[in-house]
Amino acid sequence: MKAYYAVFRLRRRMETQYRAAAVGGIVCQIFFGLVLIALYRALYEGRPQSMPFSSISTYVWLQQAFFRMLLASDAELMDKVRTGGIAYDLCRPVSLYGFYYARILAQKLMGSLLRAAPMLLFSALLPAGWGIAPPSSPAALLCSAGAWLIGLCCVSALENITMACTMRTLDPRGMQAMMNLLMMILAGNVLPLTLFPDSWQPVITALPYAQLLDAPIRLYTGEYALSRAGWIVLRQAGWTAVLTALGYVLWKRHQKRLVLQGG
Amino acid sequence: MNTIRLYCKSMAMLIRSQLQYPASFLLQTLAQLIMEGGELLAVILLVRRFDHLNQWTPGNLYFFFGLMSVSFYLTECFGRGITGAFPSMVRTGQLDTLLVRPRGVLTQALCTAADPRRIACIAVGLVSLFRGSVLSGISWSVPLLLLLAESIFCSFWLILGLFLIEAILCIYSVKSVELANTLTYGGRSACQYPVDTYPRPLRVLFTVAAPFALVMHIPAAFILGKPVWNLPAWAAYVTPLAGIVLFAVMYLLFQAAMRHYRSTGS
Repeated sequence: MKAYYAVFRLRRRMETQYRAAAVGGIVCQIFFGLVLIALYRALYEGRPQSMPFSSISTYVWLQQAFFRMLLASDAELMDKVRTGGIAYDLCRPVSLYGFYYARILAQKLMGSLLRAAPMLLFSALLPAGWGIAPPSSPAALLCSAGAWLIGLCCVSALENITMACTMRTLDPRGMQAMMNLLMMILAGNVLPLTLFPDSWQPVITALPYAQLLDAPIRLYTGEYALSRAGWIVLRQAGWTAVLTALGYVLWKRHQKRLVLQGG
Repeated sequence: MNTIRLYCKSMAMLIRSQLQYPASFLLQTLAQLIMEGGELLAVILLVRRFDHLNQWTPGNLYFFFGLMSVSFYLTECFGRGITGAFPSMVRTGQLDTLLVRPRGVLTQALCTAADPRRIACIAVGLVSLFRGSVLSGISWSVPLLLLLAESIFCSFWLILGLFLIEAILCIYSVKSVELANTLTYGGRSACQYPVDTYPRPLRVLFTVAAPFALVMHIPAAFILGKPVWNLPAWAAYVTPLAGIVLFAVMYLLFQAAMRHYRSTGS
């Protein structure tokens, strides 16, 4: 366990190195957030919905703030598989799955927290109807923070599945492009999941992608009532367990058949 | 003329080289198709829920979306040397090799990369454009078709000009400047909807600084028979030229910046 924590800590420190790049990213993300809210405001004016607008703007800000958690991958590993550098990792006395799980977890955790803190601060200062609304209750905030941590584990498990596939295909681009696409659409990045048709909701919220950010956000805005929180978190944890298990099995299998590249 | 021939030759070469790996190319093109399809899906779902956006009907919105998609990805397809490859050329010092050849740096940069996978995005854009024009009941005539072509042509230069901003900043800072993405990718996301959706500061930004409104929205609104801001008919034919003006300004700034270029060496 100590070894995995050490990997986690190293990676966490690395992720905090490029602060200037982070500032550029934050400004960009804030701009996207403002544009999206302006668009949804104009649409709302034409036809108000049952859902209050503040929950849409909150959705947009939380989604933008934790953007980095969804789309960030460990490019280094992809290279290692392609160049054969993974041989060094195979010599380590740790489970490779755990090793990379810890790395990705740290990268996503720090990457998103580093960017989310200033963005959430900024969005809290915006006037009502533009900025982020406070959580529906202190308990909801706690619940959604817990759900977010589970979501983080879930997204790391997903990422590890992509990597396991890379060992077979060598070129990660096709697989990664597909996974990122599903992520963009089904995790609510292109359009908040709450704005998808009502008839789609039961299906779309049950998919693993909705467990990453959508579930915590809905807990935060109070769209998922606190009485249902237990069930929501259970569903998240269930998906996380399934995906972790699947990833673990794939890693074990592909690791055995891995052909080392290089010369 | 010679330059154009050179460019066409490199493009043909680049595209042929990408087709050497047909399976990988097809998969990636498919991914692009789904990506742009997802963007279109977002518009369709929004339209289903909200029905209209100010005075714009669903058909109008598809038209605007298609116009942006076609223009933006044409630029990404044929201007990849500027839109994607330039920052790494500066960082690795590869740009030096362009300096010693008897052609302009910009021409050569454009000749170094192409991205034929974007053809899938352009196809989605065309479908959206077509569907939008049918739903909006546009009665096409020769001047209107010419106007649409002019708008797409000028948008190409506008978007290339905006990407040049990133290239210019890159010459000074060596690192690729993510901030410049607000105008390019941000502009694409924002301006696939008509500009009158947005509050004044954004409207000014997209009319004056990054004139998507002048190049795309005014002609498109005219084609759709709903001119914005009470502009006369001839205005719709003149305003797209702003895209070429912006490119010309950025071209001059780029030339000035190149004089400050210091190689990263190797």
